[in-house]
Amino acid sequence: MRPKYDAIVIGAGLGGLSGATMLAKNGLKVLLLERHNVPGGYATSFMRGRYEFEVALHELSNIGPKDLRGGLYRYLEYLGVAAKVEFVIAPHLYRSIFPGLDITLPVGREAFEAKLCEVFPHESKGIHRFLDRVFGMGRDFARIVKERGVGNRMSMPFRFPDFFRYVPTIWGQVLNRDVKDPLARAVLSQYWGYVGLPPSQISFLFLAMTLAGYIRRGPAFPVGRSQALSNAFMNTFEELGGEVRMNCGVQKIVTENGRVCGVITDEEEEIRADWTVSNADPVTTCRDLIGFDKVPPRFFTKLQSSEVAASTVNVYMGVDRSPEELGLTEHEVFINTDHDFDRHYEGTKNLEAPEALGVTCYNAVYPDISPKGTCIVVLTALKYGEPWYGIAPEHYVDTKNRIGDAMITMAEKVFPGLREYTEVVEVSTPLTNMRYAGAMGGSIYGFNQPPRDNMVWRMGHRGPLEGLYFVGAWTQPGGGFEPCMMSGQMVGGAILAKIRKRQEGK
Amino acid sequence: MPLEQINWLLDVREYRRVAKNRKALREPGQGTDYTDEKFREVVRRVVSRIHPRRMNLRLVEFISQTATAKTFCFERADGPLPPFRAGQYVNVIVNIEGVRTSRPYSISSAPLAERMELTVRDKPGGFVAPYLFNELKVGDLLETTGPAGHFYHEPLIDGENLVFLAGGSGITPFMSMIRDTVHRQRPLRIKLLYGSRTPEDVIFRTELENLAASHSNFTFSLVVSEAPEGYGGLKGFLDSKLITQLVGDIKGKTFYVCGPRAMHDFCRAALNAMEVPQRKIRYELYGAPEDVSKEPGWPEGVSKDVVFEVDVAGKKMILAKAGEPLLNALDRSGLVVPALCRSGECSACRIRLLTGKVFVPSQANVRESDRKAGYIHSCVSYPVDNLKIRL
Repeated sequence: MRPKYDAIVIGAGLGGLSGATMLAKNGLKVLLLERHNVPGGYATSFMRGRYEFEVALHELSNIGPKDLRGGLYRYLEYLGVAAKVEFVIAPHLYRSIFPGLDITLPVGREAFEAKLCEVFPHESKGIHRFLDRVFGMGRDFARIVKERGVGNRMSMPFRFPDFFRYVPTIWGQVLNRDVKDPLARAVLSQYWGYVGLPPSQISFLFLAMTLAGYIRRGPAFPVGRSQALSNAFMNTFEELGGEVRMNCGVQKIVTENGRVCGVITDEEEEIRADWTVSNADPVTTCRDLIGFDKVPPRFFTKLQSSEVAASTVNVYMGVDRSPEELGLTEHEVFINTDHDFDRHYEGTKNLEAPEALGVTCYNAVYPDISPKGTCIVVLTALKYGEPWYGIAPEHYVDTKNRIGDAMITMAEKVFPGLREYTEVVEVSTPLTNMRYAGAMGGSIYGFNQPPRDNMVWRMGHRGPLEGLYFVGAWTQPGGGFEPCMMSGQMVGGAILAKIRKRQEGK
Repeated sequence: MPLEQINWLLDVREYRRVAKNRKALREPGQGTDYTDEKFREVVRRVVSRIHPRRMNLRLVEFISQTATAKTFCFERADGPLPPFRAGQYVNVIVNIEGVRTSRPYSISSAPLAERMELTVRDKPGGFVAPYLFNELKVGDLLETTGPAGHFYHEPLIDGENLVFLAGGSGITPFMSMIRDTVHRQRPLRIKLLYGSRTPEDVIFRTELENLAASHSNFTFSLVVSEAPEGYGGLKGFLDSKLITQLVGDIKGKTFYVCGPRAMHDFCRAALNAMEVPQRKIRYELYGAPEDVSKEPGWPEGVSKDVVFEVDVAGKKMILAKAGEPLLNALDRSGLVVPALCRSGECSACRIRLLTGKVFVPSQANVRESDRKAGYIHSCVSYPVDNLKIRL
């Protein structure tokens, strides 16, 4: 008997939503299961009093304005999701604050470079050369996407020279040759917080793609917050005939003759399908849902070289003052105690006050995000999940408030009055991320992205057993909102190709 | 050789280094061993200590507080009691005559106490409270959610001068906060203004008076609205005159309000008149409206007794009364919809409205995108049309 569904997708994070919608769009009968009562994973929002807080999204890449739409927008357009959600584009990438320096960088290659050269005139040549590399990489990558792969590998160095050259490199290694002023390096590397590793470790490929994307098309934000994006996916998926079960977790993935053939839900119901796509992290999927005795040991051996990325502490603040009164005119402000990002990164592994902080005030791009005369401010610091595992339950609130308090104090030095006018405040931790999204370590980027785990070499989508696919930040192309949605497109494409091949075989 | 070419060679040589690095980490004993026991169900194990989804509580004792109020004292049967913030509630899940439903009750005991206590008043017309009063026996198990809610003292912004405005059984979360402050000797100064209908209805009276007598940072003022003749204490309601008289200067103080809906509205007006900024007032939730047809915006001509058909996609067809929250009808039909606050705020009971119209009172706190995309909180959504919904 044919199973009722062609595919089951476990988890309605952005990867799962994207994968499910991609498959439904192409005529497959898809069942989407989500343990939580709201879809989106981290792409969600929550209410406190008269404020609705964006949980995770700071800036969305590769959407672009109407005359310069990016790859992500075109994909959303193809699915029919773009028609259900509107985007606004910020005029600036970020404001970066160091002792003795306060700089705001505009969108557009020329404006961005001019601003940097104005502040660091002695580095203008190096900055220009470096940005050429960043954009050269971006151009090559766009062509690879367009041509659906690198084609003949032997010809890659000639056809995609920048991509070929920089794939194995580390950001800092390339940057430090061109730019000597440590402060200029720091300003150019400011997005390191968006990729989870400091300049001395992060893959050049990944940070360059991120930076080039934002400079070229500007940072976008969905009207209605990222929940609007998740809802748009969900409603599109259902319109395409997809079936959803909310509040329905999966307790087991069923295997038969070494092949994944369905799931058993928390309500003990067994549901079968040809394809199972897991938006849960690969370790939870293989260890807890399949059972690691059923998974080839090779899978775990290969996984040894991947490490779980950082999580976050966020302080969500609803403030009873307009952003202008508080001086919050830029939507993304990075406050750094100094330019030693390696030390800041070491601080993400403890439970002390952070050394660097992101201050996001969404009202600057999206004035209606809170009632008139108020604003929403979110303070973000990277923190690894593991140190939080050992905290005694009764000390949890004190610990998170101690760190939250230090973050507010740090932000208040730049934005006086912030605490005094705060009406509601909520501190989230790596454990909060684990609680709601179920990701190991509360990781926000899946596995870390040094060159060995960058978008080329990171775990693929095919699971260790036939019939199983992974989607989301843990897999290619990597962590972040855009990559997660792209992973769904890639998984959808891979399954569809497999089906086509089978039919041709017959 | 020009520098750029040397650099090119250096960069390309990285291919080998990355490969070697990866290979070395995959040797036995290197890298991260995800088969290690510590990665087994790591999310569930770590998180459920602090935020259990469900708890089984065993009733060890109940204490009569007044003629209509009882305190139920529980121990947890399936693990240690989780920490919570004084002022939070649990949603009690019950099965009464085949109907699985739930009601949130504030925890009246202090966090870290050996027992978890819920203090409940039995009001006429109740459904769950009579069950707790008449059916639940010592030794019985009660299923609840983990602690939840946002009505608590937040040291990050609330300061140390607190004014508690309690009405009737709304004293319960305050009791937890007061006990916590006293037991842990937190540096807070609390003024409790407790409005009660009659002196006999006052819950925790002796304990509150004793605490006020022995702790200089806690004061307790009782205000009775239906005072018997010759009553010597404060009389009336918690209006701006009385609050100002008892509290004095409002500067630096944070106000907390918990009580019945009418008292909320009354206190809101009083605090506004005193020019307390909105950011300095915290309100606890008070459940769904008692009579939704009296809410502003209720469609004219729709009787609250009219019954509509609700098609629950993929499940079954049920009937629902206009004057009753959709969630109650779902509960009665045996369909399980998770619920938590049952007041319109937490979104645990969020469902999708596919067709038809519901009335939503202003207390519903629904996400902007949910409103646009057709998602509703079923605990404060009232059918005014035949509906099709998806759980």
